[in-house]
Amino acid sequence: MSKNILKICIGTPCHLMGAANLLESVEKFDCKLRQKIELKTSHCIDNCCDQAPVAEFNGKVYQNLNPEKLYKIIRENIK
Amino acid sequence: MSNNAISEIVKLKRKLYVELLKLVKSGDLTAEISNLSKKMITKDTARYRCCEFKERAIFEERIKAVLGFNIAENSKKSLEELAASLPRWQKKKRIVEVIGKACDSCPIDKYLVTDACRNCVAHKCVNSCPVKAIVVIQNKAYIDQDKCVECGKCAQACSYNAILENERPCSRACELDAISSDSNRQAKIDQKKCVSCGSCIAACPFGAITAISDLIEVALNLFAEKNNLAVMLAPSFLGQFGHQQSAAKVNYALKKVGFRLVREVAAGAEITAAAEAEELEEKIEFNKTLLSSCCPAFKKMVENEFEELSALISKTDSPMSVTAAEIKSKTPELKTVFVGPCTAKKAEALKDKNVDYVLNFAEMLALFTASNINLAQINEEEELNDAGQLGRQFAYAGGLQQSLKELTASDFKCRQLDGLGRLKKELYLIRANKHDYNFLEGMACSGGCVGGPFSMINQNLAKKLVKEFAESF
Repeated sequence: MSKNILKICIGTPCHLMGAANLLESVEKFDCKLRQKIELKTSHCIDNCCDQAPVAEFNGKVYQNLNPEKLYKIIRENIK
Repeated sequence: MSNNAISEIVKLKRKLYVELLKLVKSGDLTAEISNLSKKMITKDTARYRCCEFKERAIFEERIKAVLGFNIAENSKKSLEELAASLPRWQKKKRIVEVIGKACDSCPIDKYLVTDACRNCVAHKCVNSCPVKAIVVIQNKAYIDQDKCVECGKCAQACSYNAILENERPCSRACELDAISSDSNRQAKIDQKKCVSCGSCIAACPFGAITAISDLIEVALNLFAEKNNLAVMLAPSFLGQFGHQQSAAKVNYALKKVGFRLVREVAAGAEITAAAEAEELEEKIEFNKTLLSSCCPAFKKMVENEFEELSALISKTDSPMSVTAAEIKSKTPELKTVFVGPCTAKKAEALKDKNVDYVLNFAEMLALFTASNINLAQINEEEELNDAGQLGRQFAYAGGLQQSLKELTASDFKCRQLDGLGRLKKELYLIRANKHDYNFLEGMACSGGCVGGPFSMINQNLAKKLVKEFAESF
């Protein structure tokens, strides 16, 4: 089974705008969904620090996230 | 107390920190400050108020708070004028303040009947009301607010959940009933009761309550490269600077950004613990009770509301105070900056001549961001070895009690409580002499400092990281 790759930026600007919330929310996904995702962290994605927090899911970059937005993105794009 | 979920309002505040810091760094603070609200709030940005003009007016009040000025006293002064007058010569009068313009004057009535009321035959609400405050008018139940005693029985009784508990978030969060409303129905803080715990700041969904900040003052010193600042890291700092950012890296990064000295407040906590243990021995001998003094919000509450018990508070200085005194005695020209998750420490610092500034973690992270320093991209580290477990475990509830148990030779009973509401009840018991212990550890925030209103991460995670760090020594 090909894993879905989620990269969350943990750089300082993203942390300031809530990257910790995103990381925490991923761990709270239900088991079935969580198993399909490989979680990685990144030091900076795309240099778009003024749009923090940023994450990349299956190669696409999403900006200005919050846990709810991230959940929707994953639900819609999961393989 | 805190749930560290980052709302739009928190983001807006933090963006403001970064923008202001960039202005300080480039030296354009006074020249550009009056344009900042226009730059950051445009017609197209997300809007939460009636129009962008109101939004900007509120924003300017926020800027004043970040500059370090009390809002009410400086309402007539322009931002330019205030920025030019920095470094501040007037002392802050208080830490927690309501931004009048931002307060939405939420309803004051605690119980309201909503449209879900069907004027049923049973009328359980009317029957359940102990003071006969509910009448049925025009096919709908109606609560006479003059009679209502806010017991909540009607809300429980209603079969349609038609009665709503509707307390203001700020006053619900305040466990000391320090928030009332003024003649405009806006929130008003009773400074005689307020202990600056910061719960209302975190609770208000409009962001209408704010803490007066030291951020710009610190930045003015830092960016002028005076090399005169010493950071004091609260014992709860682990993990607060980012995912997997070690203490050693935080130490390195702080020095890189321009702080001359970095010191763990846990070092002061060790001294505090030792002194408190001595005090405790004495109390045990006479079978008296000692109250902990390291949480400034708890200490202030005892002083405000239980004057007769204030003699029981430990005379030992808080870890922050001890650490600051130590730094100043060695290097008097240094200015001390405490960094932590706490607002009450800001209030404590006003009375402590050795503590010059207090920042929260977000403010410090904004300093990194504005200086283009990304901790995740730094590989260098510099060990931080100021303190052992006895001091480091002060960060979570129960830690102080544990340290004292280790330091005290004689046997004693103790009790640990967190949350101001619970502590207040306990203090009533102590006053009535209905307690059986010699030591009470009181922490205003649930979970202790790791659960502070300005903690950046989940408190369980924070506690785990602090424990690991404490045991690593």
